[in-house]
Parts: sequence; structure tokens; C-alpha cells
Amino acid sequence: MAGGLQGCKTFFINGGYGIKPMNDDVFTYLIGGKAGQGTKKAGIVAANFFSALKRNVFQMNDYPSLIRGGHNFSLVSTATRKIYSQYMKADLAVLLDQRSYTIHRDHLTENGVLVYDSTAVKQGQGIGLPIASLAKNYADPDLIVGVTGIAVLAAVVGADRAKLDTLIQKEYRRSAEDNLKFAHEIYDEAEKKITQRFELREGKETHPILAGAETIGLGASAAGLDLYFAYPMTPSTPILHFLAAQAKQLGVVTVQPENEIAVANMAIGAAFTGARSMVGTSGGGFCLMQEAFSLAGMVEALVVFFLGQRPGPSTGVPTYSEQGELLFSLYPGQGEFPRIVASPGSIEEAFYVAAELLDLAWRFQTPAILLSEKHLTESSMNVDLDIEKIRAAAPDMHTSGIYQRYRQTETGVSPLLFPPSDAMIKWNSYEHDEQGYTSEEADVIARMHVKRRTKQESLIRYLREKVQTVNEYGTGDPCVFTFGSTTMSVREAVLHAGLSCTVVQPIYLQPFPSWNLMKYVGRKAVVVEQNCTGQLEQLLREKTGITPISSIRQFNGRPFNPVDLAEQLRKVIG
Amino acid sequence: MADELTTPAENTWCPGCGNFGILNAFKKAIPKLEQHGIDRKHLVISAGIGCHGKIFDYVPLSGLYSLHGRSMATVQGIKLGNPDLKVLTFAGDGDAFGEGISHMIFAAKRNADITVIVHNNGTYALTTGQFSPTSGKGFKGPSLPSGNVEEPLNPLSLMLEAGASFVARGYAGRIDHLADLIVEAVLHEGFSYIDVLQPSVVFNNTYKEYNALVEIIEKPAGRLEDAVQLAKRFDRLPIGVLYKVSKPVYHKELYGKWNPAVNRLMHEERKRRIATYLSERLQK
Repeated sequence: MAGGLQGCKTFFINGGYGIKPMNDDVFTYLIGGKAGQGTKKAGIVAANFFSALKRNVFQMNDYPSLIRGGHNFSLVSTATRKIYSQYMKADLAVLLDQRSYTIHRDHLTENGVLVYDSTAVKQGQGIGLPIASLAKNYADPDLIVGVTGIAVLAAVVGADRAKLDTLIQKEYRRSAEDNLKFAHEIYDEAEKKITQRFELREGKETHPILAGAETIGLGASAAGLDLYFAYPMTPSTPILHFLAAQAKQLGVVTVQPENEIAVANMAIGAAFTGARSMVGTSGGGFCLMQEAFSLAGMVEALVVFFLGQRPGPSTGVPTYSEQGELLFSLYPGQGEFPRIVASPGSIEEAFYVAAELLDLAWRFQTPAILLSEKHLTESSMNVDLDIEKIRAAAPDMHTSGIYQRYRQTETGVSPLLFPPSDAMIKWNSYEHDEQGYTSEEADVIARMHVKRRTKQESLIRYLREKVQTVNEYGTGDPCVFTFGSTTMSVREAVLHAGLSCTVVQPIYLQPFPSWNLMKYVGRKAVVVEQNCTGQLEQLLREKTGITPISSIRQFNGRPFNPVDLAEQLRKVIG
Repeated sequence: MADELTTPAENTWCPGCGNFGILNAFKKAIPKLEQHGIDRKHLVISAGIGCHGKIFDYVPLSGLYSLHGRSMATVQGIKLGNPDLKVLTFAGDGDAFGEGISHMIFAAKRNADITVIVHNNGTYALTTGQFSPTSGKGFKGPSLPSGNVEEPLNPLSLMLEAGASFVARGYAGRIDHLADLIVEAVLHEGFSYIDVLQPSVVFNNTYKEYNALVEIIEKPAGRLEDAVQLAKRFDRLPIGVLYKVSKPVYHKELYGKWNPAVNRLMHEERKRRIATYLSERLQK
């Protein structure tokens, strides 16, 4: 970029000082090692370090489904502008074991610095530090190496020892003394050996770094969440953990029942009392909830289902990311009833969408699905949340006269009443009359079908008039259609390469907001999604007739690398 | 007989069905519970799917007519939502020990403060008489005309071993006795299980056998082992409370005196707390 100083400055210690020819000031830090070596923690600390410089960050953690050993890595990309994705090539890579070294030694930018453990890696390229052998002098050598990443980072970005000390005292409180001593050893070694430093320019403002699981939990809580039910399953578990940890502060009760069937049925029972309920699961667990989902449709229960996607089918790849359940999420449960599905396009948007779905479930007394992915729930970025934007509908309550749970109304939505009440409140899984009694009468069956259809029509009217159902970013052709967390990858690719196009992201997928999408018919279209069969493309074609000239799909469990994605988009744009 | 607890729903049980005895016992229990300070509006019911479940339509109480095998989870959710409510569910033997056995075991294990009344007729009656989890070996039904090849489950000993803090057996043919059991079960704080011997006049007519074998026990067993012994008796069928013990209940262990539906935080308070959380996160 002209002017140069927009970019990272690079110092060549033994060759004067030059400016790194980058068109952007993105700096990427990679730390890799075995599970248990604290790579995720090191990523978080690095992110906090960048954030203290008022820079924006995006952190992604990559880990297999195991507890000790294996190969974990954390990627943190930072820029003074807003940043929506990690980059796969690092400016600084710290690799703590042979496996990480083998996998990542080439994942460097042009002037990238590679630091590895010379005890573990023989004849490595880059800067070897005797990390494991230095660690042997400490009480817990396996744990202590976690601090390596931050010590090396401090040296490489030219932070002095005082800054490093403050950081370690704050972030590594457990056995802080040992951590400090070890960090000094690493820092001094690194200082001696590194030939290149990066200066990170300060940004303008700072916002807290939150993971998608946190913004979802906070958004639901803002909209009135009282009870959260979940059975552990990646990638929904972080929401359970977050809400359990913040239960008192947020006034939320978390419950871990025996299985997903109990989860969903308990949540419906809780909703019957007027407590706002939500469940969290992933594909397999959501399969087990199908019957209860349909029950929620029938009794008109107000429950939000979080569905976190990972690569399927079946058990699939538990700790990675995919968007293979879009079509599955649109019609869960047997029978005809209104369903709501929305998928947030960023960690920030997840806050608003979680809140809005709780609100919609309560307005329309029907189950709603918050569809997301591992990439969104478990990655972190700076978020600027505006709590004032959150709506929490006071439900349409019964006020006077004889109470009928399923009273016919113009909107199809019947007023609510919760026990204890002098009036009888019957929610019924069988087809029922207005009072809630079981019925097999032909006219009752037809009438209740019409009531639920009317509710669906009211829901669509409300979405059309009151809800932002589609996001649009940028201008010009082509239109790049995408959804969910892939939106972040697309937006970052566009920023990275300075592409000219219109990114179109349907937030709502059911009811599908065709009313906002028909205007794109006839324009040059591209669809980007993280699945193999092109589910968004099918949906777009079916609902709007939009037929893309090109599809970009990635289905290896990994989120897009914005650099590669930009390359592919550029080919299409021409 | 029509009374103030009769609903407009047409009763479709077979004439002579044991379910009538359970319905009548429950109707007798309601005013007795009111005498104990549990008013009707705080009594919330659920039911599974099967002949037994129709009882949901036959009493004018609030509740949620659940799925097959899931009503125990439903009422646990209701209790967690608003612990001021007294929750009770009816279930069939197929519901409780076929489809929903995991919920039964866990409700007992965590001592959820709910009452489960199982209409145990040893058959899937509404689907025309297949063998059920409690059918005896040799029981003949349309899905196994040559006779059931499985041993039956013993619901009482299973619930005792799972940790139920109140376990009783009643008989649909002893209405007053059953009514008192229901009252005691609802009053008991913790997981209360009542196994009701229920003849199915069409598919498993056991009136004669039960009339000859049931024997009222006056006092629960003092020790769990003795209660299990009682549950395993077949020469006589003891009815009454087999076991009763006081233990901490699930919702109180989970959140103390909180009540999610009643104490729910107001919108402004929630916003304030989230703002606090966000500013703390920023300072970290």
C-alpha cells in the first residue's frame, strides 16, 4: 500500500531497517504444541496483549478430540482495523513440538519468524531455543512451556522485560514466580537469536474479546433467558460452560440432564411455567431432540434450540467446523408447524441474533433454532455490543374472560397464562381443541392446522416489517452469497484483497427472506459455503431462482483461509 | 359419576378398566391434598402416551400432555421452572420402563421433587396388547403370539436401587388406599414413585389374581434392603409405602431458594449486569 506505514514495520537487526511490503497491517501469531501445553491459553494471552495496544484481534483454536498429546494450535491475527478471520500464514510461529514443526514450518509469511523447541526438533529451519531442556529445571516442566509463546512474542515485537513481567503476573497467576523466571530465560535466549522484529502500531479503540459462545450466552441472557439445558457436545458445550460460570451474575440456571431427549423435554416443561428456556446441542444431539421439537411446535412452547455444527455425518469430526446441517435445520420434527431458523454472520451478530430468537420464540410461541458452527462459537474477536438494541417481548398474556390455551385469534397467537392460576392451562401434544383437550374431530383438526398456518403467516409478516433478515456489505457485482460463520471469512477475504463485490448474507433461513433477496435476481452471483453439496445454493435456487455462476465450497473441517478465498473470488470476479 | 372434577372430555377407557380406579383415587386425593394446604392451582400434571394418558383429559387441572416416555422429563422441567408447583405425572409401564427408563432412573438418582404414578398393566393396551417391560415371561400378544421370551422388570426394586426416596405400590382395585398413597407421595419432598397394579380387562385381566394376592402393609421398611425384599415378594403382593427416606432434593441442591419463573431478572437489571460483565472483561 502506498505510504508504507499503513503496514507493519519490520526491523532487520543486521541489515538496517526496512518496511515490510504489506498492503495491510495484519500480524498473525501462531502457537502450536501438544494438548496440555497451554497453546490455547498462549493464544488468549497474545490476543489480550494485542488488544492492550488497541488493536483488533481474531483468535481461532484448532484442536483434535483428545485431552493430552495430539496437536493443538492457536492462531491470532491482529490489525488496527476490524478483523474477521484468522490468517493461516504467521508472522511469528512458536512451535513447541516436532509435530507442530512438521505441520507448520511452511506456514509463514514472507518475512515470518519461526521459533521452535530445539530440544524436540533436530535440525530445524529458523530459530531454535532449548525450551524443553530449560523447562526441566522447573517443578512442572510440561505446564511451564506454555509461557514460552508470550515470552517469544514479547521479544519479537520489541516489548521490554517490564512489559512482559506485567503481562505474566496478570495472565499466569498460578505459580507466577516460576513462570516469570522461565519467561525471562526464554526472552533472553530469543533476544540473542532473533534477527527480525516487528513493530505493532497502536490502534484507536478497544473492545472486549469474546468467543461466540459468550456472545450467544450474553444475548440470550439479555433477552430474558432463565434456564439453559444441555448435554455436553462439541461445539455447543462452551455455551453451557460460560453460562454455568456466570450463572449468578446473569440470573441463569444451567442444567445438565441425562441425555438430549431429557434436555429438550425439560426445557419445554420449564417454558410451561413462564421461565425462558433454551437448549444447546450439536447435530447428533439435535437428532435426538426431533420428537420434542415437534412437541414444542404442537403445544406452542417457546424454546430456543442452539444447533452448533461440526463436520458430519454421524459422529463426524467433533472439534472442527462445517455448515452441513443447513437443510437439516429447516424442517426438524414431524408435522407442519412454524419453525424459525437464523444463523449469525459474526461473533458480534451472534449476540443480537440469540436475543432476537428468544424474543421471536416468545412472540410467536414456536421453537426457534440458532444455527451456528464451531468456528463461530469457539473463535474470539473484539466485539462492540449495544445492549440497548435488545428487545425482550413481554409475551401476549391473557387478561380477562374464560382462558383458552389455544384460543383462535387473528394472528394465530393465543394469549399465554402460566401456573399457578385459577384458570385451567392445558398444553397438549395430541391435536387439541381451543381449551387444550384432546380431539380427533375433523373440524378441530382442520381448524388447528389453520391456526398454526396463520401464526406462520404472522411470523413472516413480522419478519418482513420489523426484523433485519439479510445483511449486505459492499457494492458492485458479483453478489457473493454466504451465511453463518463463513460470512466472516468472506468479509475478511474482501478486505484483504480489496475486492469489489456485494456480500449478501441471509441471517434468517426459515422462514427464508425471499422478499429481501429477489432484488438480486439477474445479477452475477457466487455462493461461498462450508459444505460439500452446496446447501445454501440449493436453498437460494429453490426460493428465489438465483443461480450462481460459481460456487466456492470448502469441506475439510477447516474454516477458509481469507488469502486463499480471496484468490478464488478474484478468479470469479476476473 | 359426574362431579366438580369431571371434564367435558368423553371417557373412552374400556368398561371395567383399572384406569377408572386410578382416576377415582386421584380425584379423591385432590381435596385431601387441599386439606394439606396444596391448592388445586399449584398441582400440575403430565402424562405419557397410552391408555393411562387419557387421564390428562379427565381431570380439570393444568398441565402438559407429554410424549410417550418423556413426561418424567417434562415435569422435572416444570419443577425446575417454578419450584412452588407440585408436579405429578401419570405414566404407563411402557412409558416409564420402555421408552423413558433413563428419565425414571435419573429422576430417582437426583431425587427430583416429582411424583410418578405408573399405571402398570403389563401390556401395551392402546396399541392392542403387545408385551411390555413388565409383562411376565410367556405373556401372549400380537407381536409375539408364542409368548414373551423376556423376563419382566421389577419397577419397585429398580426404583429403590436407583435412589428413589419414596416408593409405594397401590392397587387400582383399592381406591381409598391408593388415594392416601397419592396424597402421601405428593406431600413427600423428593422423588416419589407409585407402582399401581392395574388390570387391563381386555388384554391382561388380573383382577382375580390381584384380589387374592394383595396385602396392605402398614409401615414402610426401615432399611433399603428390607424394602427391596418386599418389592421382590411374589407369594403375596404387598401394597402401601415400601420405603420412605428424607434426602436433599434436586432443585434445591442446584439453585437453593431461587425460583426461575418467579424471581426472573427484569430487563433493565439484565442489561446492567451484562454491561458490568463486559466492562470487567475489558479490564482483564
